[in-house]
Amino acid sequence: MSLGRLILSPLILLMAAGCVTQHQRYDWGSYDPSLYGYYKNPEKLGELSASLAAVIDAASTNQAAVPPGIYAEYGYLQLQQGKNQAAVDLFKQEESHWPESKVIMDRMIKVASTPVAATSTPSAAR
Amino acid sequence: MNLKSKFALLSLVILFAGCASQPPRYDYSQFRTEAPRSILVVPVINKSIDVNAPDYFLATIATPLAERGYYVFPVNMVKSVLADDGLSDANLVHAGDPHRLGELFGTDAVMYISIERWDAKYVVLATTVTVELNYTLKSAHTGQVLWKNHQIVVYRPQQNSGGGIAGLVANAIVAAIAKAAPNYMPLARQANSGAINVKGMGLPAGPYDSLFGKDSADY
Repeated sequence: MSLGRLILSPLILLMAAGCVTQHQRYDWGSYDPSLYGYYKNPEKLGELSASLAAVIDAASTNQAAVPPGIYAEYGYLQLQQGKNQAAVDLFKQEESHWPESKVIMDRMIKVASTPVAATSTPSAAR
Repeated sequence: MNLKSKFALLSLVILFAGCASQPPRYDYSQFRTEAPRSILVVPVINKSIDVNAPDYFLATIATPLAERGYYVFPVNMVKSVLADDGLSDANLVHAGDPHRLGELFGTDAVMYISIERWDAKYVVLATTVTVELNYTLKSAHTGQVLWKNHQIVVYRPQQNSGGGIAGLVANAIVAAIAKAAPNYMPLARQANSGAINVKGMGLPAGPYDSLFGKDSADY
């Protein structure tokens, strides 16, 4: 019996959530669960990084928009790993796709372009 | 029809009735004056005893805001950049001037969220999991409050009403599982959706939605 209830309760939760209309504007892949997984266990940085790359790949395959913030999240992880040029390229992508990000992306590009500015040593980022 | 089916039917009827009812409408005049395009989510204040709640919650908030049509600054990058600037203390950031954040990030609006409850309570045979949140969106240009919302989502595995000893034991097991490893994420997502996507109380469509500036009948 309790199995039935276990299934029924989330179903009702889902239906309650369904009362508000929602359609997917972007394909987020596994961004949310990967970020959660990373916060739960920082050793899962690689999985978060892979999930961000996958979101970008999927968008380009489907000629869809990369969701806001994704290029920059990925760029920031590159910066943490000392891959400054990759970071700069990604920050520029964020900025060209999302003009709202210009102020902070210009700042991040400046940080990533300054040789001594790597925020962490490569060894600290797996 | 057994009791279980009756209860399920009743729940559904209540749910559908809930969809149709008209909640009071938020005053959007300040929001409309500024029509923000971008939202910066700053570190979340935690009033629960679960130290991980703010991080876990952060993993649920970017997507519903972006899906509503706003530019949402990358939450993980923002968290790290603020920490590098000595702004990892949520209470300090919330008490500070949104204008300064506006200058640093170039955002139109700042979303301040406070976790009021994030807990699982074990009462004899049942566990109740609760997530309660307060949302405040402020203008980074004027510091004015543009929008507010409060959500409380409670998950309570249903009680077995006629299962005898076996039913009670089963309920206790379900409760113990929920207590040992409560999953807050669906509740947090539901709270976000309830805050953002409900007509008359949620956020008006953002600039990447075709209804941007055209939904004043609903908001």
